[in-house]
Amino acid sequence: MKSYLSSFVRLAFAASMVLSAACVATPAAPAPTQPAPAQPAPAQPEQPTEPTAAPTEAAEVVLRWRTRPDNKEEADVYASISEEVSRKIGVKLVYEPGGSETASYQDVLKTELAAGTAPDVFWIPGTDIADFVQRGLLLDLRPYAAKTEGYSDDNFYPEPMFHLTYNPATGKTGEVLWGLPRDVSTFVLYLNLDLINEAGAPDPRELAKAGKWDWAAFEEVARKVTALGGEIKGFGMNAWWGPYGAFMNAAGGGFFNAERNACNLTSKESLEGLAFLKKLYDEGLAVPYGEDSEPPFRAGKVGMFQNGRWATPGISTVSFNWDVVELPKGPSGHMGNWLFWGAYVVNKNTKYPELAWKLVDALTQPDVQAKVAARGTNIPSRRGEAVFQEFLKILPEKNNQAFLNGLADKPTAEGPLWTGSWPDFDRAMGAKVSDLLTGKITLEEFAKTACDEPSKAFNP
Amino acid sequence: MSPARVLALLVIWHGVLSLGLFGVGISGLLRAWHALDVVRGAAHAAAVWLAVLSAAAALCIARRAHLGRTLSLVTHYLVFVAALIGLASLLDWFKGLDDLADYAARGTPFLMAFVIVVGYAVRTYERRERPVSPLRRAIGAAVMIAGGVGLALSVGITTALVSWVAKLVAGGWEALGWIGLMIASLFMLRVMWRAPVALWLGARSVFNERLTGWLFLSPNLLGFALFFAGPLLFSLYVSFTNWDAFARRDWVGLENYARVFTIVVQPLATPDQPASEALDIRAYSELFRVHLPGQSFLVGARDRLFWIALGNTLRFGAMAVPLSVVPALLLAVLLNTRLPGMRLYRTLYFIPSIAAVVGVALIWQWMYNSQVGWINYFITSAINAINQVLGTRIPDPQIRWLADSNYALLSVVIMSAWQWIGFNTVLFLAGLQTIPRELYEAATVDGANGRQRFFYITLPMLAPTTLYVLITSTIQALQVFDQVFIISNGTGGPGTSTLTMTLNLYQNGFQSFRQGYASALAWVLFVVIFIFTLFQFRRQRQASGAYDL
Repeated sequence: MKSYLSSFVRLAFAASMVLSAACVATPAAPAPTQPAPAQPAPAQPEQPTEPTAAPTEAAEVVLRWRTRPDNKEEADVYASISEEVSRKIGVKLVYEPGGSETASYQDVLKTELAAGTAPDVFWIPGTDIADFVQRGLLLDLRPYAAKTEGYSDDNFYPEPMFHLTYNPATGKTGEVLWGLPRDVSTFVLYLNLDLINEAGAPDPRELAKAGKWDWAAFEEVARKVTALGGEIKGFGMNAWWGPYGAFMNAAGGGFFNAERNACNLTSKESLEGLAFLKKLYDEGLAVPYGEDSEPPFRAGKVGMFQNGRWATPGISTVSFNWDVVELPKGPSGHMGNWLFWGAYVVNKNTKYPELAWKLVDALTQPDVQAKVAARGTNIPSRRGEAVFQEFLKILPEKNNQAFLNGLADKPTAEGPLWTGSWPDFDRAMGAKVSDLLTGKITLEEFAKTACDEPSKAFNP
Repeated sequence: MSPARVLALLVIWHGVLSLGLFGVGISGLLRAWHALDVVRGAAHAAAVWLAVLSAAAALCIARRAHLGRTLSLVTHYLVFVAALIGLASLLDWFKGLDDLADYAARGTPFLMAFVIVVGYAVRTYERRERPVSPLRRAIGAAVMIAGGVGLALSVGITTALVSWVAKLVAGGWEALGWIGLMIASLFMLRVMWRAPVALWLGARSVFNERLTGWLFLSPNLLGFALFFAGPLLFSLYVSFTNWDAFARRDWVGLENYARVFTIVVQPLATPDQPASEALDIRAYSELFRVHLPGQSFLVGARDRLFWIALGNTLRFGAMAVPLSVVPALLLAVLLNTRLPGMRLYRTLYFIPSIAAVVGVALIWQWMYNSQVGWINYFITSAINAINQVLGTRIPDPQIRWLADSNYALLSVVIMSAWQWIGFNTVLFLAGLQTIPRELYEAATVDGANGRQRFFYITLPMLAPTTLYVLITSTIQALQVFDQVFIISNGTGGPGTSTLTMTLNLYQNGFQSFRQGYASALAWVLFVVIFIFTLFQFRRQRQASGAYDL
């Protein structure tokens, strides 16, 4: 028994050595601390604390940061940017590529935040800002930004900055700063020019140039391409809030009322947008709703595929002639596009708030954004003619202007829901719209009940 | 020192330890009670329990009963483990485990090449005619030690030690306290284990063997308590709160369960009367309508998604279990024959079971694509061929497997059954190979044909295996998550057609962060599975009686 005990003790010692070795590799993560209490209602952001000086042992500081890259190549770009920024701000950075869109990036992140193991700086989609802020998970960066030379909210698109500077306690913008937008994006229609030519349909790019690219023209092209027969469809989009929301916006409707505190799915305008879409599905002009439209588009079976800038790298490898065109204008006279955005934010529990701000600031500088945009996946979130000109040069040399046109035509910003739960609203709305567009319910039935469940997502 | 004095000191030590643990435990329990913090409460309840053990040990030692030695050893062992966990937590060892996975790769060459391959081989490899020489054993040991040192250095032992000391210093009195407790526990373990104290307390070898057995079982028992039973009980507690995983954790009693099960039935003025007129739609949602002669009713629920998910899950189970069990049984019978190449086929059928669910689901998602997927391609080709050969005009259904709510769940069923068949086949194969061949030979002599042999020998003899397969398949089906999560992109769509209980639980717990409600859903799911399993056991018991096994 003596030998057993002695072996046990030796083993325990050896294990502790190895474990402690691993502990060291832990990049200066702060000791687990209790997360700040979540606020059930829009919270009064904590009084900004005075920025503290960077720790004197800055050379040993390690900051972890995370994004959700769309593919391996983009992750590599971020990794190289991390090294570059690390040298620039003099802090060791550990870049953690988060999972892909289907890997529940936000769910994992929130779980890590609850466990106290989340990175210091991370990216989240625009729709999640309110949820994260109201749970007290994000640091107000305003005091740090105020001390930063050359920083201005106006450098970025105003739509995301509205939400990123929104104080839920006072209902005013500009008082706080929850993060800075990493990039923006918008929808276009990816075109299979071979199919469109074969169908004898007018070229959507020419129609757009002539100002004749509206829903009627769009439907005509879809109809002609579908008439080619077989499994070919004129139009395809994927099943999430973005694509159908754009049609609702283009008709003058939208998800929420103007105050963003009530459901607007059953307004006349919203229903008009959905009715147009439903017609496309009912008449077989579109890839069935709920199916991933990208594989058939890539296989050359879809004439027009609605997607964002993030799809460009993947689509640029197709074997047919392709290009992009902006979304057609709807009854409102606008294309109803979205301004998609996501932001770098700082973990409320970071041990190094000032350095974390420096990292956020560095990651949103024009040169860094240009490197990310060069992958063809994103559009820089900074405004200005110089940025636009750089973006227009980015490969593939297609109609990049279409993206900028989308941003210029009164886009609706991807917006968080400060007065309720966006995940709950999205889930309830998505199920109802899915029922409508797959033919399970009629438009009339939708109009009667569409807001019943989504309305429960708003705070009482 | 005389035995009486030593034992008196031990009694005093246990008394002190008991008082200390009791004081810490009770004060912590009171604080936890006020804060409604069950985790802290459980930890301090454990301290009180250890205090009781220690007090009992003191009493028994005073009477020179051997039980006192056993209780003392258990107490000190548990105190040592608790102190180790406390220190590990203070020094961030648990976070280090994650990083170890990243950095362990650096040490792999040392571990593989030096410790295992070269060192071990040199040290132990011997030929019959020439045993290992002492020199070679020494060289082998040296290589292994060098490998071990290389491993430690490569994963950062030097900086680790520096950091460890720094953290210990930063830990201050708390760290010292944990270390002191560990050392004291180890010392007392040693004192109690060895002579002369062991002999004074009447230790016998049989007691030592028994304690040794428990010692080796203890990691598993502690692991079970900490990582299974503990979280299980915690989730039960959470199900009575509105915890959001961050801070809010108010006791809400049975509110979560009430929300799950509350159903209302309202008579309708007309069959198509809007739900908003019959129900308070701020609190309830329409579930379905019942039309009886002369009167229609609307059934509403506070959480309609729970009932939809329950229905989908039961439907899924009702289809997936037979589809993964019956073909598996037939396949096993086929693979149990002595035809050439059967081993290859067994392997091939088993492969889907070990393939990653995510990869499988993504491939099936593509195959189900109504436009460019293989399944519709084959259906279309087959129908075209039939129409051409027979001159018929059978229309091509162009099934929208994943886009039509009538087919979406079926699509997941087919995919899941395909994946589960292989594993069930292996279980049935194992069962088939336990059936004595004499039974078949006797039946053949009696003139039984193949069908009779299958139904009157194979099936009854396979009953225990079938029960096991049915129970595991049912549990698997009722817990289905990965497949629907990937296939529906986490939405449970189209509409709510693939929303299962676990997906609904996940959405509540990890997307909307209603951990309290999600825990209640988890316990309801547990009860549902328990009822099904119980039912299957009962059925099997009746069937076993019928077969007189």
